[in-house]
Amino acid sequence: MRRRPGIGGLQNAAAARDQYRLLGENVAKLRTDLMKEQLSTFRSQLEDFARKHKNDIRKNPAFRSQFHEMCAKVGVDPLASNKGFWAELLGIGDFYYELGVQIVDICLSTRAHNGGLISLEELCKLLGQRRKGAREAVSEDDCLRAISKLKVLGSGFEVISVGKRKLVRSVPTELNKDHNEILELAQAQGFVTVDEVQRRLSWPSGRATDALETLLDEGLAMIDDGDKDGRRRYWFPCVSSISSYAGADTS
Amino acid sequence: MQKLGEFKLPHFFNYPPYFTLQPVRDTREKQVQLWKELIIEYCRAQKVFIIGLEEDFPLFSNRAIERSLSHEARVAFLSALVSDGRAEWTDKGHKKCLILWHRIQEWADLIVHFVKENGLEDNVTTVEEIRSGTESRGTELYGIDRSVLMRALKLLEHKGKLVIFKGASTDDEGVKFSL
Repeated sequence: MRRRPGIGGLQNAAAARDQYRLLGENVAKLRTDLMKEQLSTFRSQLEDFARKHKNDIRKNPAFRSQFHEMCAKVGVDPLASNKGFWAELLGIGDFYYELGVQIVDICLSTRAHNGGLISLEELCKLLGQRRKGAREAVSEDDCLRAISKLKVLGSGFEVISVGKRKLVRSVPTELNKDHNEILELAQAQGFVTVDEVQRRLSWPSGRATDALETLLDEGLAMIDDGDKDGRRRYWFPCVSSISSYAGADTS
Repeated sequence: MQKLGEFKLPHFFNYPPYFTLQPVRDTREKQVQLWKELIIEYCRAQKVFIIGLEEDFPLFSNRAIERSLSHEARVAFLSALVSDGRAEWTDKGHKKCLILWHRIQEWADLIVHFVKENGLEDNVTTVEEIRSGTESRGTELYGIDRSVLMRALKLLEHKGKLVIFKGASTDDEGVKFSL
């Protein structure tokens, strides 16, 4: 299209712009349609896949986790509803529901001991023990999914990160940054002392004792006055495993 | 899992803070509950009837984690058992505690069961026989503390189920059942 001077030229340019815009919109629509078609093809392929590998998905936690990732990429949530294609095909809805119930139960029964905070690792271990006879093995990923479903029900369950560990909270206790840092410190040996907190985190003494006292009141910490050096230790059941207590061996 | 002889110790026994009396009420309640259960179960399994607070009772310390219960803690846990009717102080100074993992009435029921099982309804036997005779071997009555046994027998005597009388030897008594 050659540029021409004058009004005619301007009109031509405007017409050209309009045409380009129209073309642009068509191309965009074409792309969207193509994508929609691809997506729908992908979805049905995913359904075929799920049908074929139903048993693997049920029995193998690693496989199951990857399957979930694939679904997420396509915008499919097999757990979204207990009815419908996915739940019926895989029975996965029930699996996570059952897991959720067991998780709630474990959290409630360990609450007196750990104050309502339990490490994800410990939770999975206790789940495994409880489900010894079951066909399906359970991974931490499964636990996290089940817990996220619990959250949707508004049950007050939350997963928090402390250092490199994840803790599952089943009580409304909010942990502030100070508490979080103490918990992270406690992960090394399962306990901290006031001195240690002050030294390692460079806090004034009031701040350390306040935070520790709050954690004590919330039932998240227990005191230990039996050490030979006479220094009080604050132990945190939520960072240890119930079945592996033995002095400093709490890793 | 750690054991004391044949007895399996619960996990909390290896967690140091449980050996310190907890100040926070809810945590303390949980702690007392756990210790009460442990003491009762241990005494039942090992047939321990009397715990001396100042003695070396195996549950009072755990060498593996270098912790032991303070006197105050020992008193706290045993007092809780006393409140539950599962133990009794034998002295005013609270130095010795009788553990009733079976209450006296339960012991009485066991005696009645024992008598029926062995067809002793109209027989005469001695107190010693009940606690150490061949028939009592393998039953809970074997090795029962004498004073506890006497209390259970007196309870039954009061209900007219038996009569206690002085036996041939000076330090043993006879029992005639009439169930």
